[in-house]
Amino acid sequence: MLFQRTARILPLLAPVHLLILSVIVLPSLYVVWLSLNVSSFGLAPRFVGLQNYWRVLTDPAFHSALWNTVVLVIVAVHLELAVGLGMALLFASGLPFRRFLLVAVLAPYAVSEVTAVVMWRFLFDPDAGPITLALRALSLPTLDWSFEPSHAMILIGLLTIWLHLPFTFVIVYAARLAIPAELYEAARIDGATRWQAFRRVTLPLLGPAMLIALLFRYIFAFRLFSEAWLLTKGGPARSTEVVAIYLYQEAFSFNAFGSAAATAWIMVLASLLLAGAYVFLLRRGGMAHAH
Amino acid sequence: MRTERWLIGLGKAVAVAAILFWSLFPILFIAMSSLKPGQDIFAVPPKWLFAPTFKHYVELWRSWGVFFDGLLNSLLITIGATLLAIVASACAGYVYSRHSGRVLGASLLGLIIVRLIPPIVVTLPLFPIVNALGLSDTHLVLILLYATFFVSLGTVLMRTFMDQIPRELDEAASMDGASRMTILRKVIAPLAMPGVLAVAVFVIVFSWNEFLFAFIFTATKAKTAPLVISEMIGSIDGVDWGILFAASTVQLVPVLIFVVFMNRYLVAGLTAGSTKG
Repeated sequence: MLFQRTARILPLLAPVHLLILSVIVLPSLYVVWLSLNVSSFGLAPRFVGLQNYWRVLTDPAFHSALWNTVVLVIVAVHLELAVGLGMALLFASGLPFRRFLLVAVLAPYAVSEVTAVVMWRFLFDPDAGPITLALRALSLPTLDWSFEPSHAMILIGLLTIWLHLPFTFVIVYAARLAIPAELYEAARIDGATRWQAFRRVTLPLLGPAMLIALLFRYIFAFRLFSEAWLLTKGGPARSTEVVAIYLYQEAFSFNAFGSAAATAWIMVLASLLLAGAYVFLLRRGGMAHAH
Repeated sequence: MRTERWLIGLGKAVAVAAILFWSLFPILFIAMSSLKPGQDIFAVPPKWLFAPTFKHYVELWRSWGVFFDGLLNSLLITIGATLLAIVASACAGYVYSRHSGRVLGASLLGLIIVRLIPPIVVTLPLFPIVNALGLSDTHLVLILLYATFFVSLGTVLMRTFMDQIPRELDEAASMDGASRMTILRKVIAPLAMPGVLAVAVFVIVFSWNEFLFAFIFTATKAKTAPLVISEMIGSIDGVDWGILFAASTVQLVPVLIFVVFMNRYLVAGLTAGSTKG
């Protein structure tokens, strides 16, 4: 009976699991082995234990890449969530032409990283970029992203927020629409001010959705590669590298597969750790922090 | 009271204007600039009125034939990856929707955990393997990669949408002697169309726009449109911004129109995919 059932459902499950096993799971496990060896093109791998991890973790270039990534993730993702939340509340408060506005907000979701880089690079072009010109006309500071590393990181952050805000917004907005209007009615009858209704009704009920949006965005921002690569290639002098670019350089520029693999597993472990923390928060009630 | 309402209205109008500007201005600005005569692109202050010209598109066609090969490659790869991802996800999603058990539950959790692995991680071991198999620079390798990175989300989404289809329909069809595959094809798939479309939006947008895998696994024959555009950026000293804007616009417009028409499925997919996944 059990055997029969297995025989019937296995062919339906096979394609998905074969693809994932052969393209993601087995290669990732092979990366573990790679990370414990020193290897390069044409050389037989040699087992070195955790030496690669040690090398990466003590490499100043890795520190700088990790620092850039962590700052980018923390600043960009939280800013994105705050803006997404504000937009969700604005949409929920009733707007004319809501369908049109929703589609407009979703538009950047369709834009590739490459095309987005073309856009933002030109908007902030030091000579002719319309944003640069507008900032200059208002006597505001401009972004000298092509030679000032911190300015380049700001531009990378803006770019990644622009590309991913639709995602964060939709998650939070959908959760906001799921809150029954009666709750606000009840809060009003109890004499709650707008702020109190927001603090006591909206925020706690949006808590889980905001946590989910945060988790996904942490994980995706931590692996950010294309935006930074296409804008600066990690330069000048490796100053705007993020972890994924560090990995790419180790593997494909320096042929140091061992340390690239160690970096890769550090990335995987960081993602698992984040997800673990999320599950922990969710189990504990998830929204306790909102009070 | 009346002034307060008026102020709130004004505040909202300003906020909406800012949102529209943020979301649409970058897109509209490069689309508009692609139609500007050469010297007007760099005009200070920017010119808002100009005689539109298709000069840059003609030049793109003449001097960057490889871009149009890239568009064709992108199209073929997108179609292949989408079909593969949808068929595989629908089959697995159906099983997860109709059956349960400890092994099945664990394997579903495995699918979700796999999404935590960054794509760049698998490029390391796959790069030599793909070369050894002679698959480097082929459409197939990108089709497999793109489909694989979406089948876990796809399966979860299909399961969520199929859970809403009553099991009595399966039972009735199976009494009539229909096989599992026939039930899935003739009964479930048509009713699960919103789910299929949600998965399709994700895979199509991703495959059409993807950069990292195309950058690592293709060189000439299977080069996709985003990769060609990135090469145009790379030769920034020599490149004509007008041609770059024209290429970006051509790459963007089809997928933008697609997302505009499919916005309902995109929203449904995003919400279902993140809350259930």
